[in-house]
Amino acid sequence: MIKKQLELLVALQDLDIMIREVEDVKQLGFDTPSLDKLEQAREELKEKIGKPLYATYERLKARYKRAIVPVKGDTCLGCFMRLPTSLAAKGREDAAVITCENCGRILYWLE
Amino acid sequence: MTREELAGLFSEARFVVPMRARTKEEVLEELLDTFVREGLIRNRAIVLEMLHKRESLGSTGIGKGVAIPHGRSTAVPDVSIAFGRSAQPIDFDAIDGKPAQLFFMVLAPPQELNNRYLPALGRLVELVNESANRKSLLAAQNYAEFVAIIKGDSK
Repeated sequence: MIKKQLELLVALQDLDIMIREVEDVKQLGFDTPSLDKLEQAREELKEKIGKPLYATYERLKARYKRAIVPVKGDTCLGCFMRLPTSLAAKGREDAAVITCENCGRILYWLE
Repeated sequence: MTREELAGLFSEARFVVPMRARTKEEVLEELLDTFVREGLIRNRAIVLEMLHKRESLGSTGIGKGVAIPHGRSTAVPDVSIAFGRSAQPIDFDAIDGKPAQLFFMVLAPPQELNNRYLPALGRLVELVNESANRKSLLAAQNYAEFVAIIKGDSK
Protein backbone atom coordinates (compact mmCIF):
# COMPACT_ATOMS: atom_id res chain seq x y z
CA MET A 1 0.00 0.00 0.00
CA ILE A 2 2.64 2.51 1.10
CA LYS A 3 5.07 1.16 -1.48
CA LYS A 4 2.62 1.94 -4.29
CA GLN A 5 2.15 5.48 -3.00
CA LEU A 6 5.91 5.98 -2.82
CA GLU A 7 6.31 4.68 -6.38
CA LEU A 8 3.78 7.27 -7.54
CA LEU A 9 5.63 9.95 -5.61
CA VAL A 10 8.96 8.99 -7.24
CA ALA A 11 7.27 9.28 -10.64
CA LEU A 12 5.86 12.67 -9.65
CA GLN A 13 9.31 13.82 -8.56
CA ASP A 14 10.81 12.73 -11.90
CA LEU A 15 8.10 14.75 -13.66
CA ASP A 16 8.78 17.77 -11.45
CA ILE A 17 12.49 17.65 -12.25
CA MET A 18 11.72 17.34 -15.96
CA ILE A 19 9.24 20.24 -15.83
CA ARG A 20 11.75 22.43 -13.98
CA GLU A 21 14.43 21.70 -16.58
CA VAL A 22 12.10 22.37 -19.50
CA GLU A 23 11.02 25.65 -17.88
CA ASP A 24 14.69 26.62 -17.48
CA VAL A 25 15.54 26.02 -21.13
CA LYS A 26 12.29 27.66 -22.27
CA GLN A 27 13.60 30.88 -20.75
CA LEU A 28 16.72 30.53 -22.90
CA GLY A 29 14.60 30.54 -26.06
CA PHE A 30 13.94 26.84 -26.73
CA ASP A 31 10.53 25.85 -28.02
CA THR A 32 8.75 23.56 -25.54
CA PRO A 33 5.21 22.96 -26.83
CA SER A 34 4.80 19.78 -24.79
CA LEU A 35 5.29 21.45 -21.41
CA ASP A 36 1.49 21.62 -20.98
CA LYS A 37 1.25 17.85 -21.45
CA LEU A 38 3.84 17.30 -18.73
CA GLU A 39 1.95 19.56 -16.36
CA GLN A 40 -1.29 17.77 -17.14
CA ALA A 41 0.35 14.41 -16.47
CA ARG A 42 1.61 15.81 -13.17
CA GLU A 43 -1.88 16.86 -12.13
CA GLU A 44 -3.27 13.40 -12.90
CA LEU A 45 -0.49 11.75 -10.91
CA LYS A 46 -0.94 14.14 -8.00
CA GLU A 47 -4.60 13.09 -7.66
CA LYS A 48 -3.50 9.51 -6.99
CA ILE A 49 -1.24 10.44 -4.08
CA GLY A 50 -2.60 10.81 -0.54
CA LYS A 51 -2.88 14.43 0.58
CA PRO A 52 -0.66 14.19 3.71
CA LEU A 53 2.13 12.48 1.76
CA TYR A 54 1.85 15.01 -1.05
CA ALA A 55 1.96 17.89 1.44
CA THR A 56 5.13 16.48 3.02
CA TYR A 57 6.66 16.15 -0.43
CA GLU A 58 5.80 19.74 -1.36
CA ARG A 59 7.27 21.03 1.90
CA LEU A 60 10.51 19.11 1.37
CA LYS A 61 10.70 20.12 -2.29
CA ALA A 62 11.24 23.70 -1.20
CA ARG A 63 14.46 22.56 0.51
CA TYR A 64 15.72 19.75 -1.66
CA LYS A 65 15.82 19.08 -5.39
CA ARG A 66 14.95 15.49 -4.54
CA ALA A 67 12.52 15.19 -1.65
CA ILE A 68 12.12 11.43 -1.92
CA VAL A 69 15.28 9.35 -2.11
CA PRO A 70 16.19 5.67 -2.10
CA VAL A 71 17.84 3.79 0.75
CA LYS A 72 20.74 1.55 -0.16
CA GLY A 73 22.68 -0.50 2.34
CA ASP A 74 20.67 1.16 5.13
CA THR A 75 22.02 4.55 4.01
CA CYS A 76 19.85 7.53 2.98
CA LEU A 77 20.99 8.46 -0.54
CA GLY A 78 19.92 12.05 0.10
CA CYS A 79 22.33 12.90 2.92
CA PHE A 80 24.38 9.68 2.95
CA MET A 81 23.84 9.12 6.68
CA ARG A 82 23.39 5.56 7.90
CA LEU A 83 19.91 4.88 9.25
CA PRO A 84 19.34 3.35 12.69
CA THR A 85 18.73 -0.41 12.42
CA SER A 86 15.22 -0.07 13.89
CA LEU A 87 14.22 2.52 11.28
CA ALA A 88 15.64 0.43 8.44
CA ALA A 89 13.60 -2.57 9.64
CA LYS A 90 10.47 -0.42 9.87
CA GLY A 91 11.00 0.84 6.34
CA ARG A 92 11.13 -2.67 4.93
CA GLU A 93 7.80 -3.50 6.55
CA ASP A 94 5.99 -1.26 4.03
CA ALA A 95 3.58 -0.11 6.72
CA ALA A 96 4.34 3.59 7.09
CA VAL A 97 6.03 6.48 5.33
CA ILE A 98 9.54 6.79 6.76
CA THR A 99 11.59 9.95 6.69
CA CYS A 100 15.33 10.25 7.28
CA GLU A 101 16.06 11.27 10.86
CA ASN A 102 18.98 13.38 9.69
CA CYS A 103 17.72 15.30 6.62
CA GLY A 104 13.97 14.68 6.76
CA ARG A 105 13.68 13.36 3.20
CA ILE A 106 11.05 10.72 2.43
CA LEU A 107 12.70 7.34 2.03
CA TYR A 108 11.93 4.34 -0.16
CA TRP A 109 13.63 0.99 -0.09
CA LEU A 110 15.09 -0.50 -3.24
CA GLU A 111 14.28 -4.18 -3.82
CA MET B 1 30.00 32.12 -17.98
CA THR B 2 32.65 33.75 -20.16
CA ARG B 3 33.20 32.70 -23.76
CA GLU B 4 36.64 31.48 -22.73
CA GLU B 5 35.00 29.15 -20.18
CA LEU B 6 32.45 28.04 -22.77
CA ALA B 7 35.28 27.18 -25.19
CA GLY B 8 36.79 24.96 -22.48
CA LEU B 9 33.75 22.66 -22.65
CA PHE B 10 34.52 21.64 -26.26
CA SER B 11 37.28 19.33 -27.45
CA GLU B 12 38.83 18.56 -30.82
CA ALA B 13 37.67 14.95 -30.44
CA ARG B 14 34.09 16.26 -30.32
CA PHE B 15 34.49 18.50 -33.38
CA VAL B 16 32.79 16.88 -36.37
CA VAL B 17 33.26 18.73 -39.66
CA PRO B 18 31.86 17.65 -42.00
CA MET B 19 29.20 15.41 -40.51
CA ARG B 20 28.12 12.20 -42.21
CA ALA B 21 24.57 12.45 -40.82
CA ARG B 22 21.69 13.07 -43.20
CA THR B 23 18.79 12.94 -40.76
CA LYS B 24 17.94 14.31 -37.32
CA GLU B 25 18.36 10.86 -35.78
CA GLU B 26 21.77 10.44 -37.40
CA VAL B 27 22.84 13.87 -36.11
CA LEU B 28 21.98 12.85 -32.54
CA GLU B 29 23.85 9.56 -32.86
CA GLU B 30 26.91 10.97 -34.65
CA LEU B 31 27.46 13.68 -32.05
CA LEU B 32 26.71 11.34 -29.16
CA ASP B 33 29.30 8.89 -30.47
CA THR B 34 32.03 11.52 -30.09
CA PHE B 35 31.35 11.48 -26.32
CA VAL B 36 31.31 7.67 -26.35
CA ARG B 37 34.65 7.43 -28.18
CA GLU B 38 36.20 9.84 -25.69
CA GLY B 39 34.93 7.69 -22.84
CA LEU B 40 32.88 10.56 -21.43
CA ILE B 41 29.58 8.78 -21.01
CA ARG B 42 28.81 5.60 -19.12
CA ASN B 43 25.83 4.35 -21.10
CA ARG B 44 25.13 5.37 -24.71
CA ALA B 45 21.60 3.93 -24.78
CA ILE B 46 20.46 5.85 -21.70
CA VAL B 47 21.79 9.16 -23.03
CA LEU B 48 20.26 8.57 -26.47
CA GLU B 49 16.89 7.83 -24.87
CA MET B 50 17.17 11.03 -22.83
CA LEU B 51 17.92 13.01 -26.01
CA HIS B 52 14.88 11.48 -27.75
CA LYS B 53 12.67 12.33 -24.76
CA ARG B 54 13.94 15.89 -24.82
CA GLU B 55 13.21 16.20 -28.55
CA SER B 56 9.71 14.83 -27.96
CA LEU B 57 9.01 17.78 -25.65
CA GLY B 58 9.85 20.19 -28.46
CA SER B 59 12.63 20.30 -31.02
CA THR B 60 15.95 21.75 -29.94
CA GLY B 61 16.25 23.25 -33.42
CA ILE B 62 16.27 26.90 -32.36
CA GLY B 63 16.05 28.24 -35.90
CA LYS B 64 18.42 30.12 -38.21
CA GLY B 65 20.08 26.84 -39.14
CA VAL B 66 21.12 25.93 -35.61
CA ALA B 67 20.14 23.04 -33.34
CA ILE B 68 21.31 22.50 -29.76
CA PRO B 69 20.21 19.06 -28.57
CA HIS B 70 20.81 18.93 -24.83
CA GLY B 71 19.96 17.24 -21.57
CA ARG B 72 21.04 15.86 -18.27
CA SER B 73 21.68 12.22 -17.55
CA THR B 74 23.14 10.16 -14.75
CA ALA B 75 25.29 8.52 -17.42
CA VAL B 76 27.14 11.82 -17.99
CA PRO B 77 29.81 12.70 -15.40
CA ASP B 78 30.53 16.32 -16.41
CA VAL B 79 29.26 19.17 -18.60
CA SER B 80 30.67 18.87 -22.10
CA ILE B 81 29.74 19.95 -25.61
CA ALA B 82 30.18 18.50 -29.09
CA PHE B 83 29.99 20.50 -32.30
CA GLY B 84 29.08 19.28 -35.74
CA ARG B 85 28.58 20.96 -39.08
CA SER B 86 26.84 19.42 -42.01
CA ALA B 87 27.65 20.34 -45.60
CA GLN B 88 23.96 19.95 -46.44
CA PRO B 89 21.17 21.43 -44.28
CA ILE B 90 19.29 18.75 -42.31
CA ASP B 91 15.65 18.90 -41.26
CA PHE B 92 15.54 19.15 -37.45
CA ASP B 93 11.86 20.15 -36.94
CA ALA B 94 13.20 23.59 -36.04
CA ILE B 95 11.05 26.34 -34.61
CA ASP B 96 11.28 28.31 -37.90
CA GLY B 97 10.82 25.22 -40.05
CA LYS B 98 14.22 25.70 -41.67
CA PRO B 99 16.81 22.90 -41.83
CA ALA B 100 19.98 23.18 -39.74
CA GLN B 101 23.68 22.96 -40.52
CA LEU B 102 25.22 23.87 -37.16
CA PHE B 103 24.74 21.41 -34.30
CA PHE B 104 25.84 21.66 -30.69
CA MET B 105 25.19 18.78 -28.30
CA VAL B 106 25.29 19.82 -24.65
CA LEU B 107 25.34 17.03 -22.05
CA ALA B 108 25.44 17.32 -18.28
CA PRO B 109 24.99 15.23 -15.13
CA PRO B 110 21.75 15.63 -13.13
CA GLN B 111 23.52 17.73 -10.51
CA GLU B 112 26.74 19.68 -10.71
CA LEU B 113 28.64 21.51 -8.02
CA ASN B 114 29.43 24.55 -10.12
CA ASN B 115 26.20 24.81 -12.16
CA ARG B 116 27.65 25.27 -15.61
CA TYR B 117 24.94 23.58 -17.67
CA LEU B 118 22.32 26.34 -17.97
CA PRO B 119 24.89 29.18 -18.20
CA ALA B 120 26.65 27.23 -20.99
CA LEU B 121 23.38 26.70 -22.86
CA GLY B 122 22.45 30.36 -22.42
CA ARG B 123 25.85 31.57 -23.64
CA LEU B 124 25.66 29.28 -26.65
CA VAL B 125 22.18 30.51 -27.62
CA GLU B 126 23.39 34.09 -27.27
CA LEU B 127 26.43 33.38 -29.44
CA VAL B 128 24.55 31.71 -32.30
CA ASN B 129 21.86 34.36 -32.27
CA GLU B 130 24.42 36.71 -33.81
CA SER B 131 24.46 36.26 -37.57
CA ALA B 132 28.19 37.12 -37.80
CA ASN B 133 28.99 34.21 -35.48
CA ARG B 134 26.81 31.81 -37.47
CA LYS B 135 28.53 32.91 -40.65
CA SER B 136 31.97 32.35 -39.09
CA LEU B 137 30.95 28.94 -37.73
CA LEU B 138 29.81 27.91 -41.20
CA ALA B 139 33.20 28.91 -42.58
CA ALA B 140 35.55 27.58 -39.85
CA GLN B 141 38.13 25.31 -41.48
CA ASN B 142 39.47 23.57 -38.40
CA TYR B 143 39.13 23.22 -34.63
CA ALA B 144 41.50 26.12 -33.89
CA GLU B 145 39.37 28.49 -35.99
CA PHE B 146 36.23 27.16 -34.36
CA VAL B 147 37.54 27.71 -30.83
CA ALA B 148 38.63 31.23 -31.74
CA ILE B 149 35.04 31.99 -32.80
CA ILE B 150 33.65 30.59 -29.56
CA LYS B 151 36.16 32.63 -27.57
CA GLY B 152 35.31 35.72 -29.57
CA ASP B 153 38.83 36.40 -30.77
CA SER B 154 38.56 35.18 -34.33
CA LYS B 155 38.99 38.54 -36.06
